[in-house]
Amino acid sequence: MITNNKEPLLEVKDLKTYFFTENGIVKAVDGVGFKVYQGEILGLVGESGCGKSVTAFSIMKLLDYPGKTVGGEILFKGENLLRKTDAEMRKIRGKDIAMIFQEPMTALNPVLTVGFQISEALLMHFKISKDEAIKKTIELLKKVGIPMPEQRINEYPHQLSGGMRQRVMIAMAMSCDPILLIADEPTTALDVTIQAQILDLMSTLLREFKGSLIMITHDLGVIAEIADRIAIMYAGKIVEYANKRTIFYSPLHPYTFGLLTSIPRLDIEMKRLNVIPGIVPNPLHFPEGCKFNPRCRFMTNRCKEEEPQLIQVEEGHLVRCWNIDKVAEEVKKELLVGECEYK
Amino acid sequence: MNRILRKLFSNTTSLIGIILLIIFIAIAIFAPVIAPPLSEDHYIIPRMSWDINPQPPGSPMSDEIRDVYDYMGAKIKYDRAIFGTAEGGYDIFYGLIWGTRTAFKIGLITVSISMLIGLFIGSISAYFGKWLDEILMRITDIFLSFPFLVAAMVLTTVLGRGLDKVMIALIVFGWMGYARVIRGNILSAKEETYVMAARALGVKDNKIIWKHLLPNTIFPVLVEASMSIGSMVVTASALSFLGVGAPVGYADWGQMVSFARNWIIGSPGQAGQYWYTVLYPGIFIVLFVLAWNLIGDTLRDILDPRLRGEL
Amino acid sequence: MIDSLLKVDNLVKYFPIKKGVFRRTVGWIKAVDDVSFEVYEGETLGLVGESGCGKTTTALTILRLEEPTKGQVIFDGRDIVKMKKSEMRKERKNMQIIFQDPYSSLDPRMKIKDIIAEGILTHNLLNHQERYKRVGELLEKVGIPAENMDSFPHEFSGGQRQRIGIARALALEPKIIMCDEAVSALDVSIRSQIINLLKDLQKEFNLTYLFIAHDLSVIKYISDRVVVMYLGKIVEIADKKELFTNTMHPYTQALISAVPVPNPDYKKERIILQGDVPSPANPPKGCRFHPRCFKVMEICSKIEPKLIEIKEKHFCACHLYNEK
Repeated sequence: MITNNKEPLLEVKDLKTYFFTENGIVKAVDGVGFKVYQGEILGLVGESGCGKSVTAFSIMKLLDYPGKTVGGEILFKGENLLRKTDAEMRKIRGKDIAMIFQEPMTALNPVLTVGFQISEALLMHFKISKDEAIKKTIELLKKVGIPMPEQRINEYPHQLSGGMRQRVMIAMAMSCDPILLIADEPTTALDVTIQAQILDLMSTLLREFKGSLIMITHDLGVIAEIADRIAIMYAGKIVEYANKRTIFYSPLHPYTFGLLTSIPRLDIEMKRLNVIPGIVPNPLHFPEGCKFNPRCRFMTNRCKEEEPQLIQVEEGHLVRCWNIDKVAEEVKKELLVGECEYK
Repeated sequence: MNRILRKLFSNTTSLIGIILLIIFIAIAIFAPVIAPPLSEDHYIIPRMSWDINPQPPGSPMSDEIRDVYDYMGAKIKYDRAIFGTAEGGYDIFYGLIWGTRTAFKIGLITVSISMLIGLFIGSISAYFGKWLDEILMRITDIFLSFPFLVAAMVLTTVLGRGLDKVMIALIVFGWMGYARVIRGNILSAKEETYVMAARALGVKDNKIIWKHLLPNTIFPVLVEASMSIGSMVVTASALSFLGVGAPVGYADWGQMVSFARNWIIGSPGQAGQYWYTVLYPGIFIVLFVLAWNLIGDTLRDILDPRLRGEL
Repeated sequence: MIDSLLKVDNLVKYFPIKKGVFRRTVGWIKAVDDVSFEVYEGETLGLVGESGCGKTTTALTILRLEEPTKGQVIFDGRDIVKMKKSEMRKERKNMQIIFQDPYSSLDPRMKIKDIIAEGILTHNLLNHQERYKRVGELLEKVGIPAENMDSFPHEFSGGQRQRIGIARALALEPKIIMCDEAVSALDVSIRSQIINLLKDLQKEFNLTYLFIAHDLSVIKYISDRVVVMYLGKIVEIADKKELFTNTMHPYTQALISAVPVPNPDYKKERIILQGDVPSPANPPKGCRFHPRCFKVMEICSKIEPKLIEIKEKHFCACHLYNEK
């Protein structure tokens, strides 16, 4: 089916995924929505516990008990994935939508060879012989930059370095030419020079396959390099959603603003880091009203009582906050980004 | 601590175990009331008759015996063998009631001393490592290579008859399990960052073992210990059954079972005639072990989620 | 020339690789291989490098939490490597450490007041009452209300636990504190809280920091001078500004270019290194970086370059600069 470029490849609408634990209901994802168009990279940004990984698992329908998707729609190529059966999802997973996980050591089976794991995916989705699968596997390993792939296919994950294992994961994910790739913190566990290699590889492959990517991370630097549009998540909801330049140059949500001004960076000489006071809220005891209000410097009484909705402030820019004018003023004063070389 | 107590009481199996244990403790404490002694040494089981054959439950005290006790000046509070008599007229009921005290004595003493020995050896072995660890572990292995019951039997035969000799034998061959468990736990706890933090502060080694390592690793040992109390009593009973152990007439469950040795099958033509010599002691032993096992099981279940999360 | 507070001279730490039933030593992991640098009073020296470079091992070896294989560590004029264990224990008051993992660095069974007081108790510095008074003061200093001192570590968040770790390190009034990836395990929005706290405490107590991290952005923000390590060796030492404006070593250049910057328009020299970091059990001959170096010359695979002062206070170990 040829996708009309004006229609999004993936549209998530009002997704709700809750965990029914013995201590209470954890609303891990509470009304999340976004669109990913063909060939586009969406960055899903947030810290631990914000719900970004759960969103990814919900899309792939890989949730484990006690998690359950209780509401919303996940429209992939126009069809709602939440209505699909297990058998139908198995055909989609790996072939149309593929996922790369954070810890390659736990995502790869330690007792199976690398070659077996990649060819397993190929044999599942395509009617090819074992030999053809092995040939394709060697090609894939070469493509992701693994030296001596003919030898590597017989090696086990623990014999490879972290960077290599991540490349194997990418090879596995790309093996069936998926049109949508979801990467959950794929480089967080890697050294920074290896991270640069992997990000470079991913961009190259995506350009070649004309695929789309949902990049999940907490690292704003990585997002600045790779994403087209960005969704900032906090406490199970999207708090700001815009294209890259808007997020970095004119954010309107206090959390986004706080993040940008509190991280040390190489390009700007910072005299003092801004602080977001307090801690990430406990999902069993979310605050009333706006979930960010206890930590927000722009907080007003309304924020403590009423939770703001996600509103469009201009074309393509959505924010969930009552006080965006105040934030806009501060942004003008404090955000110093622009065209600059490292100082 | 509160969480542990709460969990212990909410679980049905552990509740059964706790109730049983409370019953046994009550029996042990109130033994003088439940089965009033008839001699100076309370642990000597009174005899209901001189008959070598066991008498069935409810048999009255024979007149000859009554005369003997009257002559000795003992007050006879009860004069029926409620559970019957064992070989030689020994009152089973009395033996089992006072045997409860003996069981607790054996269980608690052997387990606590062997646990202490095991803890000491295991912890210094794990903490200091290297050649000390090698030597101590090889010694442990040597002790482990003796089959427990046989070794205990040999030792008691050498040491002589008596319950204390039995306890020594049980301790000598019983500490190794604890040593191994604590050694394994300390080996892994040793690598924890908070141990390195204590070293960075300048804390001395013995303080580190005592304050940091042991409190964090002792729980599995306590679980194993509680399970062992039951098995120690069983082993002591086995030794008594085999003829080593408590002196004849001593109030000890193993003694009671040993009295039944010749009468288990019964007389020709009447199988199981003397069932009461086996059943009553059997019930006591089984329930005692069960109580400790149920509690130990629940403690172990509490332990697992604790390992994963918070205290 | 001011005397340094801490001088590390030719420090070596090898870990044996044991195999077989009899645990024969079949090789060595050369975690720290002839490392020398100085730390001056009141400064923050950043120690940066990727995994396997030996930066954490260096800190642990300096504190003798791992025994050095060779070399000298001169602290306040005295070589602490040569000290007897009992003397060293007393010396520990002056050199403390904050660990990376806030979850495993606090004993889960101790109340936080006892965790913080342990050092004071060990060295018998104050009596019982004074001790806990000081604990209360320290907790307030690191931003935790003192009334929580009877709580256990699991009742606190990661950032709060790290503050407790800082309070513990401060309790002994040390001259130098090693911060071993002190913020790496924390959420992004918490990091700046802890970084600011460390900076404030440094000013207030005139502390000296050896700040170890793999995140070059954090290193750039907090350090005065920077030491760059690769595979057990130092490749470059310089003042912070100098390191970033006149970077000398190719590895440092690659490292700087690899760091993602939260700026969509940021232009930088694109250097992508080939291959993986080799194992410290089998480092390459000659310059350890040469198999991945984009400016490699023939001499690099044969002779190991020495760490030389190329410009004033700017050291580099690279053959590109040796012909001077």
